[in-house]
Amino acid sequence: MDLDSDVQMEDAIDQHQQLQSQQSVNNSTTNSSLVLNEVPISTVDPKTQRNTLDGWIEQLSKCQPLSEESVKELCEMAMEVVKNEQNVQPVQVPVTICGDIHGQFHDLMELFKIGGPCPDTNYLFMGDYVDRGYYSVETVSYLVAMKIRYPKRITILRGNHESRQITQVYGFYDECFRKYGSSNVWKTFTDLFDYFPITALVDNSIFCLHGGLSPMIETIDQVRELNRFQEVPHEGPMCDLLWSDPDDRGGWGISPRGAGFTFGQDISEQFNHTNNLSLTARAHQLVMEGYSWSHQDLVVTIFSAPNYCYRCGNQAAIMEVDENHNRDFLQYDPSVRPGEPTVSRKTPDYFL
Amino acid sequence: MPDSSIGDISDTSFVPPSHIESSDLSTSNDNINNNNDNINNLKTQIETEKNETQNSDQSMSQAQVEELYPIALLMDELRHDDVASRVQAMKRLDTIAIALGPERTRNELIPFLEDVIPEDEDEVIAIAAEELGKFVPFVGGPQFATILIPVLEKVSACEEPIVREKAVDSLNQISSALSNDQITDDFIPLINRLAKERWFSLHIAATGLFKSIIIKVTKQERLDLMKSYSDLIHDDSPMVRKAAGKELPELIDILCNHFDTPEKLDELNWNLITNMYESLVNDNQDSVKFLSVDVLISILKFLKKINETTQINDLFTSLMTLINDPSWRVRYMVADRFDSLTNNFNDEKYTLKLVPNIISLMKDNEAEVRKAISKQLPGFAKLVNNADNSIVLQEIVPVVNQLSLDESENVRSALASEITGLAPILGKDATIEYLLPIFVEMLKDEFSDVRLNIISNLQIVNEVIGIQLLSESLMPAITALAHDKLWRVRLAIIQQIPLLAEQLGISFFDESLGQLCMEWLWDPVYSIREAAVLNLQKLTKYFGEEWSKDEIINKILEKRNTKDFDNFICRITCLFTFDHLISVVDAETVKEYLYPFINDLTDDKVPNIRFNAAKSLYKVAKSLASNYKDIVLQEVKPTLEKLTDDEDDDVRYFAQENLVKVEKLL
Repeated sequence: MDLDSDVQMEDAIDQHQQLQSQQSVNNSTTNSSLVLNEVPISTVDPKTQRNTLDGWIEQLSKCQPLSEESVKELCEMAMEVVKNEQNVQPVQVPVTICGDIHGQFHDLMELFKIGGPCPDTNYLFMGDYVDRGYYSVETVSYLVAMKIRYPKRITILRGNHESRQITQVYGFYDECFRKYGSSNVWKTFTDLFDYFPITALVDNSIFCLHGGLSPMIETIDQVRELNRFQEVPHEGPMCDLLWSDPDDRGGWGISPRGAGFTFGQDISEQFNHTNNLSLTARAHQLVMEGYSWSHQDLVVTIFSAPNYCYRCGNQAAIMEVDENHNRDFLQYDPSVRPGEPTVSRKTPDYFL
Repeated sequence: MPDSSIGDISDTSFVPPSHIESSDLSTSNDNINNNNDNINNLKTQIETEKNETQNSDQSMSQAQVEELYPIALLMDELRHDDVASRVQAMKRLDTIAIALGPERTRNELIPFLEDVIPEDEDEVIAIAAEELGKFVPFVGGPQFATILIPVLEKVSACEEPIVREKAVDSLNQISSALSNDQITDDFIPLINRLAKERWFSLHIAATGLFKSIIIKVTKQERLDLMKSYSDLIHDDSPMVRKAAGKELPELIDILCNHFDTPEKLDELNWNLITNMYESLVNDNQDSVKFLSVDVLISILKFLKKINETTQINDLFTSLMTLINDPSWRVRYMVADRFDSLTNNFNDEKYTLKLVPNIISLMKDNEAEVRKAISKQLPGFAKLVNNADNSIVLQEIVPVVNQLSLDESENVRSALASEITGLAPILGKDATIEYLLPIFVEMLKDEFSDVRLNIISNLQIVNEVIGIQLLSESLMPAITALAHDKLWRVRLAIIQQIPLLAEQLGISFFDESLGQLCMEWLWDPVYSIREAAVLNLQKLTKYFGEEWSKDEIINKILEKRNTKDFDNFICRITCLFTFDHLISVVDAETVKEYLYPFINDLTDDKVPNIRFNAAKSLYKVAKSLASNYKDIVLQEVKPTLEKLTDDEDDDVRYFAQENLVKVEKLL
């Protein structure tokens, strides 16, 4: 089940680089508020904003990346939206909960075909939009644009891949460099990721997050007290929420990933009971059926990238929660990918 | 080029473009574009101008300048640096010729073109070659037509096929104006020059010229021409043989139509024709060899016409070698023309002999061959059936069954488009027993074109076995597919329902199919629900409002009383359905049924439903605006206004947006 091999995280980057990137976060936050005033498109007037956005969304829905300038504007607008969200962002039912996407843009479009278009359907994405797939830029741009357009209809959480360190190893950095000729877009996005909420609470009953529980977190209120506006740390509660996995063994265990922990059914029971939860929903692990129950239905893993990395052969799934808390899983297969030989063989010209 | 002979033409009577203001340029240009009637006036104008002798530029009035100037411009354009401008100028070559008059066209324009054209770009030459074909009247009529031959002869040496073909077409066009003497003195020598020249391009050009004069010449000349043609069929270059082979069927048809009485038969030089055919059949290049199939058809057609049967056996033997040729392209050609070949043998004996061959083609290794023969099945089956009505069922249908499972989707798709044509041949009972199972299987094909082709051609089957049986036998297939686990298969079926409905009419829509259409609304996959909504909209359009009220609207209203309606997806789907029906039913129905339901949903606890209801309210308003304006004013508009104060951002946004649209309506 555990095919995700993000284990080398610790080796991926040295301390010096990390310091540098921390600095740049600070710089860019001060800069962006300055730039914001110069942006010709008003961030106050919703109408202007929507018109510009609609153009971007249309372009992105065709899997065409935005220009570097537009990405910059987009991320500044998105930051204004997500920075005011809470560490534990409240979400209303009905909502459709989705797991990892990993740059598989066409499968994200397939997801909307299965679950219905946003805003008619409400969505909650539990992180890992980038890396691995070929279209991380388009995928994350699209989701961020939808977030700005319909902030109440779509919630996007932070996954362990929404980080500077991981994206330099698993593809997003290289993709940005390839598509834009510089790392500016990567920097803009990773700066934005620092503002993404890290967990969500669906109607006070389903706790949603990317990874899992942390030995340093007993109540949801403790999550609310964290300072989330930073690069994903190497350890500590915020790191665990994005990195941990449920395990068949009881209690806390050391994670083979090198970050976060494994937690047993006893931990889940205690956490769900303390916080009066019916379920913890998380993503982070490849599951062949697209979803998988553990800990006697206290924890569910949802994975929304079909045929992960274009070769794992897994199904993807999303979980629909209706207004009466009925849960329904929809499984789906990869979309028909562009470039695949769907065209019929033509009679060559020289023939007739 | 600027100093070439064109300078002579634009002498005194022409005003060089540089003398004209740029503003005039555009107006005059419009003149020539819009006003072709003016050309004749222009012509007289030029003649007068010339007779009045050497006027200097300055003495011409402005009006005269404007009228004369386009010709000068065009002549100048012919020398333009830009290819596009030269192309444009060449397209107006006829205008120049009319303006110059026949004499100067012959003495100045044609020599100029002869000089200039072969050096130009291919696209310019192509246009010139095409224009020259219409030039016979411009050079002074048929007696001067041969003056056009040298320039076109030069063009036909061009290696670019498009240019060469244009030159050949023009030469053929000109040849129709030529007298017999001109043909003997000029055109036949032209063909001989081209055919004897040591350059393949000229040989190819020559092959295209025989057909226009072959009837007109004397018996001896015809024999000589046929011999030259035969030389071309035996040319060293495969490209020439290919061109000659391609033209041969037309040449044969022309000859045969003209010399179709027994006393004229010897003028046909039939031996030469059959020799050429033999040579094509035995060519070592498959790209030449496959052309013999069309030649064979032409020969057979003629023999059928004059009732000549002595050679048929030999021709049948040659066809056998073609059918079993190792090259798939040759076999493809036979397969593609199978119907026509069989028809022209015109003998049941040969039709029956061909049965094993059609079966071997249906089992050919090459998918293209199987695809081609699939399309010929109904035509051949009809002929065989006339000869022996047991063969289709016993020998062909089993292989059709295999083809319906062919590994190539293109073969299956081709078969699907024709297979329904077998139904009238087999008759009712055999269709039900043998063909329907194949249709049903093909309806489940993973390749959508296959399913579509079957469904689009069901009308023929309907005529044979009747709607009742058809729907009975297809219903299980449709029902089975309606619940396929792959949502794309379900989608394909839904998308074909309107087609079925349109073809087979309301009687096809019995209880169960209507129920099926409603069931799709509750599918777990959004895209299926969306397609189901569109399907119901189309069905309402075809079957009318009364049907829709019974089968759709009332059933949706009943849904409201079930437990399913507690689910947000069920409610929003009902809303979408009604939303799509608004535009296809009367205002009366909207007011009675759709509007109250939509209005109820504006208080839904789920914001997504409220803002979609707001969107629908605009459509309601649009439908009611003319007949029930009071409802729009007193109910719809206030509801939207209330929604603009909703607690949810998106509800407020969409309410506001649609409120503005409603206000515009009023």
